[in-house]
Amino acid sequence: MGPILRQAIVYLALTSGIPPAAAITPADAPVRRLAAEDVTSRDARPEEASLGLAAALAYDAERVYAVDAEDCAVKVFRRSGRFEAVLGRSGHGPGEFSFPSGVAVLGGRLFIADKLNRRIQVLDLSGRFLRSFPLPFAPDRVLVLAAGRLLVTRRPSSRPAGEKILHYYNASGEPLRQELVARAGGDPVLDAFLNMVLVSPGPRGDLFVVFKCQERAVLHYGPDGGLDGRIPVDRRYISKALSLPVRGGRKTVEAFCWESAQDRGRLFLLAPEYTDGGDIGPGDKVYVVDPAGRLEARIDLPARVSRLAVDGDRIFAVDLAGELRVFRVAR
Amino acid sequence: MKKTCLWALVGLILFSSVLLFPLSVRAHDVNECYANHQVCRERALAMNGAWTKIAIYLTVCDVALGKCILNM
Repeated sequence: MGPILRQAIVYLALTSGIPPAAAITPADAPVRRLAAEDVTSRDARPEEASLGLAAALAYDAERVYAVDAEDCAVKVFRRSGRFEAVLGRSGHGPGEFSFPSGVAVLGGRLFIADKLNRRIQVLDLSGRFLRSFPLPFAPDRVLVLAAGRLLVTRRPSSRPAGEKILHYYNASGEPLRQELVARAGGDPVLDAFLNMVLVSPGPRGDLFVVFKCQERAVLHYGPDGGLDGRIPVDRRYISKALSLPVRGGRKTVEAFCWESAQDRGRLFLLAPEYTDGGDIGPGDKVYVVDPAGRLEARIDLPARVSRLAVDGDRIFAVDLAGELRVFRVAR
Repeated sequence: MKKTCLWALVGLILFSSVLLFPLSVRAHDVNECYANHQVCRERALAMNGAWTKIAIYLTVCDVALGKCILNM
């Protein structure tokens, strides 16, 4: 591409609000490939360490916390992958969960999205109940942002229209603001897919939101909770088309991302893959995206995974057998 | 005779209403239908499975909701 043409594209990108990096990267430019090695502890794990329905992962300096929606518990592992404990059990009382779906950890406290009990529970790291606050909806994910602010997501019910997906709360559980109106596709099944979002906290109390389908961009929300911008993702990142059975026939959707994570200002997007039957499922390739939306690298994992958290050269993930795996990225 | 028929009719109506009462309570407990529907949807969406399978499960949840509301 000639320099004049490149400058013209950058100018057009800047004036139209598109980050120039994403606009000028040729679609066939090579992506740096990185391998990941499985470094999971070989210690024998008890049966209770298996994750029946892994919903979310979080980590701190010493441990990894995995929420198991099926077992209604938080399963605790050392960062090496060695299993340590199960926190909580099924129920409706303090320290008990009903279909927990999100977890965040900060300052020695665990924040659990206790979905069907419609509340956020706060536990200490040994699982002792500290407090909880009720919610007017079933929470999906929970994140701890800066200054003790919490972000809680909800899956819209399509009933009524116009529900918001992002809900901000202060540390006491008082609502602060709501953002991101649910998308409507005219069919409840399609709506469920259109509104599947992945959220990752940014380094400055900001937030990145990725739609799992039909949106090739990352939404960036500032520390105040307002929408800061939309970051189109490099065209070298390939989404996968799928024809879904919906009311009155089929509808083609573009599967964009299965799971996302953020680390040191970079987004890690787990790309969906076609299954043997031509369906869409979790994959084994993680794309590293810089703040301008440009692909920096592709990490090839040794296994397909459904959940993901990244910390430096470590990737904590849950494989399709429900086992927590620890991968080390060779840079 | 007329009186006997009247009492028989009243008895029949009362008996029928007792028989139908539990059904009518179920039919009007729509909130439970929606609560079950939510659990059904959440289970479907939380699956780490393929999307077509999730779409089919969601459709089954919607059909079950309709049946529940209509008390079928």
